[in-house]
Amino acid sequence: MLKLFSIDDLRNLREIITSDIDIKKPCINICGETACLASEANLIVRAAKGHILGKRLHDKISLRITGCHGFCEMGPTIVTEPQNAFYVKVKSEDVPRIIDATLKNKYVDELLYTDPKSGTKYYSQNEIPFFKNQKRTVFSRNQKIDPIRIYDYIASGGYLAIEKVLSGMTREQVVNEIKNSGLRGRGGAGFPTGLKWEMLAKQPSDEGKYIVCNADEGDPGAYMDRSLLEGNPHGVIEGMLIGAFATGATKAIVYVRNEYPMAIKHLIIALSQARDLGLIGENILGTDFSLDFEVVKGAGAFVCGEETALMRSVEGKVGEPRQRPPFPVEKGIYGKPTAINNVETWANIPIIIEKGASEYAKIGTKGNSGTKIFSLVGKIKNTGLVEVPMGITIKKIVYDIGGGSIGNARIKAVQTGGPSGGCIPADKFDLHIDYDSLAQAGSIMGSGGMIVMDEKTCMVDVAKYFMNFLKSESCGKCFTCRKGTQRMYELLDEITRGQGTMEKLDLLEELALAVKDTTMCGLGQTASNPVLSTLKYFHDEYVQHIIYKRCPAGVCTELVGAPCQNACPVGTEAWRYVALIEKGEYEEAYKVIRAPNPFPSVCARVCDHKCEANCRLGTTGGQPIAVRALKRFITDTVDPSVYNSEKFIPAGEDSRRIAVIGAGPSGLTAAYYLSLDGYRVSVFESEDRPGGMLACGIPEYRLPRNILEKEIDALLNENIKLECNKALGRDFTVDGLFKDGFDAVFLSMGAHKSRTLEFGADSAPHVFSSINFLKAYNLRGEFLAKGRVGVIGGGNSAVDAARAAFRQPDVQNVVILYRRTINEMPAYEEEIKAALEEGVEIRELVTPGSIFTQNGKLTGIECFQNVLGDIDASGRRQPVLNKSKKTLVSFDTLIVGIGEHPDTGFLKEMEIAIDSDGKPIIDPDTLATSREGVFAGGDLVTGSSTVIGAIAMGKKAALVIGRYLRNEELWQTPEIRLPDFFLEPSPESDVETDMELPRIEIPEIPVESRADNFSEVERTISREAAKVECGRCLRCDLAFTQKREDEIAAVGDKAK
Amino acid sequence: MNIEIVEKILEKHRKQGDGLISILEEIQSRFTYLPEEALRMVASERNIPLVNVYGVATFYRAFSLKPRGKHLICGCLGTACHVRGGPVIVEELEKNLGVKRGETTPDKEFTLETVACLGACALGPVVVADGKYFPKVRKTKVKNILEQVRKGFEDSSVEQDYHIFPVEVSCPNCNHSLMNPNHIIDHYPSIRFIASFDQKHGWIELSSMYGSYKVFTEHEIPSDTIVHFFCTHCHAELTGSSPCPACNAPMASMIVRGGGIIQICSRQGCRSHMLDLG
Repeated sequence: MLKLFSIDDLRNLREIITSDIDIKKPCINICGETACLASEANLIVRAAKGHILGKRLHDKISLRITGCHGFCEMGPTIVTEPQNAFYVKVKSEDVPRIIDATLKNKYVDELLYTDPKSGTKYYSQNEIPFFKNQKRTVFSRNQKIDPIRIYDYIASGGYLAIEKVLSGMTREQVVNEIKNSGLRGRGGAGFPTGLKWEMLAKQPSDEGKYIVCNADEGDPGAYMDRSLLEGNPHGVIEGMLIGAFATGATKAIVYVRNEYPMAIKHLIIALSQARDLGLIGENILGTDFSLDFEVVKGAGAFVCGEETALMRSVEGKVGEPRQRPPFPVEKGIYGKPTAINNVETWANIPIIIEKGASEYAKIGTKGNSGTKIFSLVGKIKNTGLVEVPMGITIKKIVYDIGGGSIGNARIKAVQTGGPSGGCIPADKFDLHIDYDSLAQAGSIMGSGGMIVMDEKTCMVDVAKYFMNFLKSESCGKCFTCRKGTQRMYELLDEITRGQGTMEKLDLLEELALAVKDTTMCGLGQTASNPVLSTLKYFHDEYVQHIIYKRCPAGVCTELVGAPCQNACPVGTEAWRYVALIEKGEYEEAYKVIRAPNPFPSVCARVCDHKCEANCRLGTTGGQPIAVRALKRFITDTVDPSVYNSEKFIPAGEDSRRIAVIGAGPSGLTAAYYLSLDGYRVSVFESEDRPGGMLACGIPEYRLPRNILEKEIDALLNENIKLECNKALGRDFTVDGLFKDGFDAVFLSMGAHKSRTLEFGADSAPHVFSSINFLKAYNLRGEFLAKGRVGVIGGGNSAVDAARAAFRQPDVQNVVILYRRTINEMPAYEEEIKAALEEGVEIRELVTPGSIFTQNGKLTGIECFQNVLGDIDASGRRQPVLNKSKKTLVSFDTLIVGIGEHPDTGFLKEMEIAIDSDGKPIIDPDTLATSREGVFAGGDLVTGSSTVIGAIAMGKKAALVIGRYLRNEELWQTPEIRLPDFFLEPSPESDVETDMELPRIEIPEIPVESRADNFSEVERTISREAAKVECGRCLRCDLAFTQKREDEIAAVGDKAK
Repeated sequence: MNIEIVEKILEKHRKQGDGLISILEEIQSRFTYLPEEALRMVASERNIPLVNVYGVATFYRAFSLKPRGKHLICGCLGTACHVRGGPVIVEELEKNLGVKRGETTPDKEFTLETVACLGACALGPVVVADGKYFPKVRKTKVKNILEQVRKGFEDSSVEQDYHIFPVEVSCPNCNHSLMNPNHIIDHYPSIRFIASFDQKHGWIELSSMYGSYKVFTEHEIPSDTIVHFFCTHCHAELTGSSPCPACNAPMASMIVRGGGIIQICSRQGCRSHMLDLG
């Protein structure tokens, strides 16, 4: 190989290489780093090489295997030049097409990145939101060069900085340049790099000095250092050359973790190329500057990222930190002055020299200049490496670059700084990220891991996870770290198993503070951060685990059991009936469904199925089991009379009496369970029939009336007296009830009052609230919708109204007006989908203005155009009104469905406190209102919510009212319910299949036959389909039941 | 344990002046673990107390004092993998292998380990089996992964795999073709040159299929031997530009017909190679 003996040699070489490059020659850049390789990028590389060789395309197209392109979620990725097209999730068979298209300056449209929500296709990488909002500086070369070709690096301007330095800069000038740039250490602590260099430069150099690149990237969840070393090792080498020149260091060491084989490989290749070319070694480029490099591999110890531990590890010793001072710059490796900087810090150096310190300092904020690379991972749509200017808000990273959450789960926190960092909650996402602000918020920058957590992430589990990591990584030198992390882990573990107490929670906090104050190195001093920050921001999650024995995220196995059962508000053993259906034991399955829930057929149709949202098949990347459809299959197949296992105590004359106000799902459930215990229950209903929202709100095509009536009839018994057309506040009072001899009252009147539009349009002709519109048809069979129908709102009641209007005879068309976009609509996804299928139009981003009428008839409504603005606390984008853009939409009927609240003005006079929304103020643990003996539940206290939620509150009401009447403690610590019934897994489900079966499609009546009638849309699945679907179940229950079964079997064995 | 191997390793590192960790790493890579005898040899060779060697061997996670299985399965439990269900996958691996993390199956086939982050966070949960990364692993895929590992990844048939293609090469010195149409391997002319090692000279023929590792030689080449390759026409040695990134042995380079360079490692047994089409 050619060797460079002078700076001019390097200049000449660069000139030769660059003049050889034909910029018009197309090039495809295939990402070949570890993550993409995991997605089989090696096959893509082979396919590309094979195609180029086979078709003899050498002269027409260049091929580069590059480092990480950053958008790892979409890997393997290919970027083409000069087009800048960005192909994602490429498969090897796609490669010939991409090459051929690039040669003709065309695109393979279907492989270009397409935004999953908006469907926008991007022809240029720079336009993709993930890239557009970044500022790629340190990373910019990564996708342009082949890391193992030094000429690529030189051609892209590499080694220009060392050329500049060696062409006449003094050591002091270089140090000053770095000082003036404001660069702070990217390893996490943020110590000013220039200052560190200056200190090293001042050390006597007679016995040699070291500079070290710390590539022991141990923070789980951070991988930018790996990416830089894999994708651009020469950038790091050049940075170290400059550092050695400036500080007078004589030896450079790269300490890289063993878990990064490709980074090590590329680094070794790059070093040998640089050595051959004369860029490292003796008398570099003919100057008297010499430097040699050594690569030292770590052997898997997190603490070795700490500088004093790292130094000992380099010396081949146990990596225990030591006391500072003396600082490494005074006494480092083998006692010689040493400066240790992180990979990303070194990679910044050539950029500072090239740009000049003042230019560089313009990036970022004062005191925090430059860019920072974050690895954006976890529960976020666009995972990958992002490089942003310092001072950017978390919100911008998470939503604009990261694209928000993966599914429907709300993002609740980001964790930064690895095990030494902390969690920042969503309401603090306006935080401008820099070293200082993160520390103030209780976290640290660390090396730049940013792990996004959503509702399905348990913060106690996260704290436990980090503590488990830290306790095994603690080197053991400081007693408080060694024992403290161990004890903190044990306390957290107790909490996640439902054995924690509030006293021990205090102990945990005390211990965390003690560890922080009494340890020597960074590991110990920050080890408490995961505990302290989660305690600070997510205290309630700890309380939920300790007091309520619940893991709200559904993560902590020993509290959760099977996720489907845990998610169900009434604790239905979904796993159990799914297993029974597979075995063909339908009657048993019915009993399992019915036992916890008096409304099985109703829930089989209208439940919001939290079991499916939490199904482990779904939460681990697949499609959840269609639990609701299976429930429907059973309730449609089995006669309800098979269930008769409940004890019924007939009431006597002297039995205690309870008044239930409102015959909705909550009230009826409470009445039913109280009646079983021998109480006399009177249910008062203001409408002419029971059912509440089930009868008057939910349309027939989702819940046929005969099904509902049958289910309600089955609940009523001789202990229950149903009185319709009787409304509290109109026909009777709470005082009256107590006077009449009732011992307790349960208020469950629901939320039936529609919110009104601001401009008072509700009184205009042909304008209805969605609830009144639905009631008119559901209770009285009236068709109120005529002609062109507009529906304002995006919730379930708006969509129900729209779909009901679509079925009414004189309706021409139906348009939903919603202020955000479909993606933000709170209505159930399947409802929105069905509405669209049926031809309901959804007009997004409009805010209604005033109503127009003519001759006492509605003519239309004025609409303002909105744009989506900033993210609000719910993780949704806020609509921002644009008053200048308005349109007039013609309507003959307008339905307003912008939410319901309870109609309870009269409760105050009955000594029952209500909040500003009209909801009774209750103790959530006991449902007790401010008045003795009066309890409240259902939509009345939650606002319009789910059927199963209302049923669960009805059950709770029955429980607490029973306790109240028996003078027992109302609140009792709940029991943890884990799967406890063993069902042998069927042998077929063990069959080896590579292909995972898809979720069954739920049959529906065709769209054409839905207009003008209210026939039920969904149909029952077949026996065969049910069996196949059940076969997909992962049987999470077995982890609990099989163990026990094995133990029992073992006892039997011994007996033999 | 073969004492000679340890002695060779010690001698090599004595020359290079490497630290203790590098020595232990190499010993482990040869034996899958650190045998007690080897640790004693290291201590006496380096003139340090055995307890210090033991200290290092037990401090770092990469070292094992117990023999490990033929296949190494590693479940990532980094934070990103953790929040995406990594623990469920590791439990499933435990269930399928019948051992806990950190243990080896009684038949010495599999060792199951966990790691705190592999840096492939975007693809979590990740499992690495014998160096191959499996991204976004699902509970239902675990069995299949173990099955693949048991079978081995490299026995794919050359005829059927369309990722395997022929590469025609010539000498970088005289530009003569090195292809030998008289000896067909994998249905294509083989690549022929002269191999020289331990004072033996003879022909060597390699498959020209990129991805096939079939080799025929005149003399049997013992494993780990460094072989020098020479052009059959001009007799120049085919030297590479940089050492093998995997084992540091010299590489041999050839010109690819149409443009580009291919380099192969000269150490018998090392499959490292680089094809650069420029």
